[in-house]
Amino acid sequence: MRRQLTALLALAVSSAGAAGTEAAETAPYVWPMPAWMAPPPVPEDNPMSAAKVELGRHLFYDSRLSRDGTIACASCHDQARGFTDGRALAVGIDDTAGIRNVPGLANVGYFPVLTWGNPHMTSLEFQSLIPLFGDNPDEMGSNGREDDIFARLAGDPYYAKAFPEVFPERPAIDLFTVTRALGAFERSLISLDSPYDRFKYWGEEDALSEAAKRGEQLFFDHRFECYHCHVGVLFTDNLQTTRSALRETGNHNTGLYNIDGDGAYPPRATGFYEFTGDPSDMGRFRTPSLRNVGVTAPYFHDGSAETLEEVLAHYARAGREITDGPYAGDGARNPHKDGMIVGFAASESEISDIIAFLKSLTDERFLTNPAYGDPWPQGHPATADRVMP
Amino acid sequence: MKHVLTSFALLALASPAHADQPVTINFAAEIGGQPFACGTSYAGLGATDAAVEVTDYRMFVSAPALLRTDGSLQPIALDQDGKWQMGDVALLDFEDGSASCNGTGNADMNTSLRGTVPDGDYQGLAFTIAVPFDKNHVDPTTAPAPFNATSMFWNWRGGYRFLRIDMVPTDKAEDGPKGWFLHLGSTMCKSASKTESPSECANPNHMRLMFTGFDPESNLVVIDPAPVVAEADLRINAPETSPGCMSFPEDSDCLTVMGKLGLPYGDVPAGPQQLVSVR
Repeated sequence: MRRQLTALLALAVSSAGAAGTEAAETAPYVWPMPAWMAPPPVPEDNPMSAAKVELGRHLFYDSRLSRDGTIACASCHDQARGFTDGRALAVGIDDTAGIRNVPGLANVGYFPVLTWGNPHMTSLEFQSLIPLFGDNPDEMGSNGREDDIFARLAGDPYYAKAFPEVFPERPAIDLFTVTRALGAFERSLISLDSPYDRFKYWGEEDALSEAAKRGEQLFFDHRFECYHCHVGVLFTDNLQTTRSALRETGNHNTGLYNIDGDGAYPPRATGFYEFTGDPSDMGRFRTPSLRNVGVTAPYFHDGSAETLEEVLAHYARAGREITDGPYAGDGARNPHKDGMIVGFAASESEISDIIAFLKSLTDERFLTNPAYGDPWPQGHPATADRVMP
Repeated sequence: MKHVLTSFALLALASPAHADQPVTINFAAEIGGQPFACGTSYAGLGATDAAVEVTDYRMFVSAPALLRTDGSLQPIALDQDGKWQMGDVALLDFEDGSASCNGTGNADMNTSLRGTVPDGDYQGLAFTIAVPFDKNHVDPTTAPAPFNATSMFWNWRGGYRFLRIDMVPTDKAEDGPKGWFLHLGSTMCKSASKTESPSECANPNHMRLMFTGFDPESNLVVIDPAPVVAEADLRINAPETSPGCMSFPEDSDCLTVMGKLGLPYGDVPAGPQQLVSVR
């Protein structure tokens, strides 16, 4: 173990700083991560800089980006919850009910495809347009209101100074600069300092409880098959780094529903099928990373499992059975279900060991790091009317 | 038109080669035969004679052309005005941001196509209600106007809304849907890989239209959603679907609607389009 780490460290040092070559005029961006991990890829039109990340952080917490000044990105993405909101489904402007569980943002720059089930969402910059301007459902409700919002931001002395500094060649507060700054901040959200990391990558034997160590063995056991989808350093089969030769993407039907016996998922939540029309994509959602999973309940694309115990019961049964109501059906018999969802028998203590392992992926420093927290002073117009989860 | 052609012919004589004549195609937005205005209530719409206000009314028009007398098409070279018209695409904006349109609307309006065609005899008009595929799936944050109008964004579906007529029943139930919105756009746009922009759409939903006997001097293109929604109940929305008909597959609110846009929808075949007429 130790020896491998040394080799990895050497490799990482030699490739560090490869990203963001265009940011040469300002201080090079230093990724907040251990040297053994390669940084996430950075789009050519959005090189990282500390100043841009800081600008993006201000925007992320600024509810003036919403039509009525109540909803910031942070209104659904709460740092203490791994940038989720604790609700089954998101809630947008005017208390609009959302249709998806809020995905966490830890390490989000590494995901080649974003959101639960939209193959078109391939960059953070592009994705930010959904909460800002989407109207089905409304999230921040800013559709058609971009001029007002950019003017509102321009009146803030912080932005009046920060935008020209960060974007000297096109200082206007507009769709390009706002989405680039938000993307840069999100890309800076690195969570690799959990007890499991200290155990696994830094050799701190006592960073994990005995239960978590047993749980690790079970997690990576063929009997449970967890790791086939929740694979690699981020515990998801969605990964791209600056060292990746290709983008790995994974989405699976895990047998949560089977409404008509032919595999149907509930309306407005049919997964990749919604976009491709390919029947085999029915119910396929992107594999979420398990980092910080202990603080991101409830679970699944629709928040339909309240606890990790419920999640594991679903996988133990090889699919969820819903006995009554409009979504009744045996998900275990969903014809589009992924072949790895085979079910397992496990004792209560094994389940609690696996959960202890999953909770060892909680990175307290990430959840409390002031660099990711709200930068605005209390009562500032940026946050005065902001709703928080 | 004839008059213009004649005077233009004289001009053409003065400067013979490649003479162009300006052409303006005027559009009118209506609801049930009444001129559209923000804040006006329109009664008697749909299967249940619903009364609605309209909160947004815009559309993208592309590939406009005049029909030559031999039946071939002469593309109209749109003036590149840096605001409404870009390439062969234009955004038509019939709302002025007042009253009911103050949610997503703005004061600026654009109700015509402006461009040039070579001097000649023309007898009709053709255009498409759509954003062409090669412009529909790009990054709108770097796109020029009119492709940066967030009101027409549909990026979460992989493109732009081609048509947006947002109707809100004035007598909807307290907990009723936020409105009955008619949105047209491409759906089920597959990508070659899961990480690329779409390479094709199963349902492009482009409305290609042609009108013979259209004279830009004296005729208008009239847009009116009333016949399109004639069989729809605008007071309700099918549970767990988007409000109104937004072109998405498997939305029963669309069953009687898409065919009347001249588009097939699931098992429902395309009928004659009833959204656009000329007079």
